Amino acid sequence: MIFDSYEAFRAANFTPKLCILGSGPAGITIARKLGAAGIPVVVLEAGSREFSDDSQDFYRGSTVGDPYFDLDITRLRFLGGSSNHWAGWCRVLDKQDFEPKAWAPDTGWPISRADIEPYLNEVHDILELPDFRPDVSISDDIRWVQLIKSPAVRFGEKYADELDKSKNIAVVLNTYATELAGDGRRVTGAKLWSNGQDAGSFTADYFVVCTGGLENSRLLLWSNQRSNGGVVPNAAALGRYWMEHPTFEGGNAILADYGEFEVDATNEAFFSPTLAAMERLKIMNFGIRLIETPYAGIKSLVADLACTAPDMAEWVAYQLSQNLRCAAQLYVAWEQAPQASNRIELSKTDVDHAGVPRIELHWKKSEMEHRTLLEGLRLFGTTLVEKNLGRVRIADWIVNGGDYPTNEELAGHHHMGGTRMGTDVTKSVVDANSKVHGMDNLYIGGSSVFCTSGECNPTTTITALACRLGDHLGKVITV
Amino acid sequence: MRGSKPQSRRIMSFFTRKMSRRTIMQALIALPALSLFRRLSDADRPNADPDAIVEVNGWILKRSDLA
Repeated sequence: MIFDSYEAFRAANFTPKLCILGSGPAGITIARKLGAAGIPVVVLEAGSREFSDDSQDFYRGSTVGDPYFDLDITRLRFLGGSSNHWAGWCRVLDKQDFEPKAWAPDTGWPISRADIEPYLNEVHDILELPDFRPDVSISDDIRWVQLIKSPAVRFGEKYADELDKSKNIAVVLNTYATELAGDGRRVTGAKLWSNGQDAGSFTADYFVVCTGGLENSRLLLWSNQRSNGGVVPNAAALGRYWMEHPTFEGGNAILADYGEFEVDATNEAFFSPTLAAMERLKIMNFGIRLIETPYAGIKSLVADLACTAPDMAEWVAYQLSQNLRCAAQLYVAWEQAPQASNRIELSKTDVDHAGVPRIELHWKKSEMEHRTLLEGLRLFGTTLVEKNLGRVRIADWIVNGGDYPTNEELAGHHHMGGTRMGTDVTKSVVDANSKVHGMDNLYIGGSSVFCTSGECNPTTTITALACRLGDHLGKVITV
Repeated sequence: MRGSKPQSRRIMSFFTRKMSRRTIMQALIALPALSLFRRLSDADRPNADPDAIVEVNGWILKRSDLA
């Protein structure tokens, strides 16, 4: 069932056991799992079926620290959430991403990769993926890794018919949960805003917050403030340890043989470090994206020249009426070390139309991240030399410790952390089952529970964790 | 002077008449390597390990690349 307003939903007299806030990949996946288990679920979606400027305006916010995307363009607020603009790149966090690292404080999850592996078959069906292939060792330090470029499932489009026909799932559009109320043990209700006005309160036995890697923290910070700590009783880490995947062009490469590495349909190959290399260099995980430009003949020569003498190459390329670039470009996306100072706060001056404070995102890259970028490229370059596969040139600003460019990708639009998973209540918000510490009926879905970010795009892991949480809730909830 | 080519264009025109494009390109590619060579003060040491990894101007190279 899909309702266009909260009023229409109320008129239907549907009584859910569980309320999910948000209809992105996590929310829809959990709803489908529970619906299939015969548990009545309501999904409250703040936006409508389509994009609208009015809805996006609720996502405006500000950033303090390093340059970042506008907060109302880096995510989407309508049915399907940010799956409506994701690129479809898929990979699950590595086994090593879940493990604590002595050289990086506050790393390590309370679960392992083995805990989500049983759900990967479901994930493959949901995201329409072929099987992942194992990593290929290039050297003791570097491995070729597969990153599948999937059809980019738009969860709203893909599942709208199924949700509409479901007897156990009600999706209520244009209904924004502005705050949760709680007594320090249980969430007692949600205050709603529907179609531009106060819509009263709603309650269910269980709540799952799946509003996204920025909005989960915002909702819970505001709810906790309004209920004097009654929603997240252990709030020391709430909003903190927020992470992204900084992404920059790291340099160029000349390859000895374009056929040496397996590339995908867009001539790209991906490489990551081994755990031993990370430990030796005391760096975080990273992904190097090598984009081949397989020219032949004179074009190949110009492309090679572009690596060493870009101005001359530009002139020659102009003479040839060709837009040729260095033989291969290297883009690097890397794992940020978790830092409590990278955090989501509530604005003290700016609120949305429903009166909820907007986000003030505090985000800054650390010295370890520059080291990860530089040493990662050196590691890759050294591997190419030792294996005689090619030569790498690292961009000047990286070698010289210059400022990060502001005209590049900046980051991946990957919003992680803020309500991280853990056992220490001073450094985490949810337990290994994604249940908020100290609360009996409040769970969190999505990448805000990530303890560390790894190097890969998060949607595949989000979906796997959502399958796991749906499975868990199906066992906890009795109908 | 109106209608005349810049000097660099006239020089290039001369070379392009006398040499193939491939030869010109190979020469151009070799030029930056000379620059790299000058920056590596011990590149021509007789005892230097030719397989050693060196970093010059951002390039990750084998020392023998510079010989």
